[in-house]
Amino acid sequence: MSFSTFATPTGFLLPSVHSAPPFFTQQPHPGTHATVTEQWITLILAYARHRKLFVLRVEDAETTDSDWQEVLRNERINRRLLPSYLSVILATMVSKNQATYDPPGQTRSALLYWRSPDEWAEVLHGWAISTGQLNTILTFYEIADPPVPSPLSNIPMNLLRKAIAVLAKTSRSQLIAVADGEGVRLFQGTGK
Amino acid sequence: MHRRGVGLAAFDRQEQSKRSFAELSTQLSKSQVDHLHAQLNQFRTALAHFAATHRDSIRKDPSFRHAFQQMCSSIGVDPLAGPRKGGWWAEMLGLGDWQYELGVQIVDVCVSTRERNGGLIEMEELLRLVSKLRGVSGGEITEDDIVRSIKTLQPLGVGYQVVSVADGRKMVRSVVKELDEDQAVVLAIAQQEGGRIVEDILVGRKRWTRGRARAALENMLLRDGLCWVDEQDEECGKAYWVTSAMKWDV
Repeated sequence: MSFSTFATPTGFLLPSVHSAPPFFTQQPHPGTHATVTEQWITLILAYARHRKLFVLRVEDAETTDSDWQEVLRNERINRRLLPSYLSVILATMVSKNQATYDPPGQTRSALLYWRSPDEWAEVLHGWAISTGQLNTILTFYEIADPPVPSPLSNIPMNLLRKAIAVLAKTSRSQLIAVADGEGVRLFQGTGK
Repeated sequence: MHRRGVGLAAFDRQEQSKRSFAELSTQLSKSQVDHLHAQLNQFRTALAHFAATHRDSIRKDPSFRHAFQQMCSSIGVDPLAGPRKGGWWAEMLGLGDWQYELGVQIVDVCVSTRERNGGLIEMEELLRLVSKLRGVSGGEITEDDIVRSIKTLQPLGVGYQVVSVADGRKMVRSVVKELDEDQAVVLAIAQQEGGRIVEDILVGRKRWTRGRARAALENMLLRDGLCWVDEQDEECGKAYWVTSAMKWDV
């Protein structure tokens, strides 16, 4: 008997460790715990990137119809990640700046940084340049829900706000109040 | 027989013959030493010739290498003697480098898998991973080569050691950690079971008391980090998985 990788229906390749029964239990030995948790974080971020998922909630480990069930459960060996362990994993991710609790002030739901806000800032800037939308006013909705799908489609408002704040530091963005919410103007900038 | 002469002349004669004998003996032993030198030179040349001709086979063919190493040890030559002692020999073969290189690869595999196996790796698995690391061009290696390379690591004092567990299987330990007898038993059974081990198996098969089984498993889990716990085991609720006995298709 050996543990092997597995391709999910959505085309994600689960690592072989995902087919090992003890992977789904929080480990009491500190060294082992750190290793296993690290593997979970890598897996979660890779899956989030694959499915373009931005949010992970502790509840996702409790229901069977969540976007995350391919990863948080393994029906083939009848194991699931327990909510208590998922919440420890989320806390670890937040402490390593790989996620942030969103909304702040609670610990049940987190925004995942499979791209950091800095990286999102560059993606946003690159997108504005390639679509010729520098110097014009864009609402947040035009960015998160563009007519032509972009890497920024469905980006959560909070994450977008962080990316814009990063660009503001290098004078490449300016927040503008518009009629139905918030807007932003992006500039070429002089680089860093 | 002649009577020994008397008087001063006799002393002279005796001295004379003593000197002659001494000269003769020096001559004799000198010729013997010369002869030995010649022989040694011849042997050296032959060995060097052999090494040069078969260098590739020695490095590539494991059974040839084994035979060669046996030959060396039976005539008291250490093919691995470093540059300081018997340097020409190691240089001639390039075997010293070869063995050290293998040592480095063993360390590489042991260190990179330590997180998941707690510093204890099965010989077969180590062999598989090292071979993979070397690629096809590296030629085949055997358990014998691994054991030999681990010996060359000993002066480093990092505690690499080959340990035998209950059923004769070998494992390589890369952390300084004592395995007690109970743990060796647990390891052996876990290997048969693909890694999974529970108290019930130890109680049933080994007639251990439940307390002893639990202590052995908890020690491995909590103190040594040699296994992972699974709290969703269908059969027993709690199972232990010995990571070094789990097989991964990486």
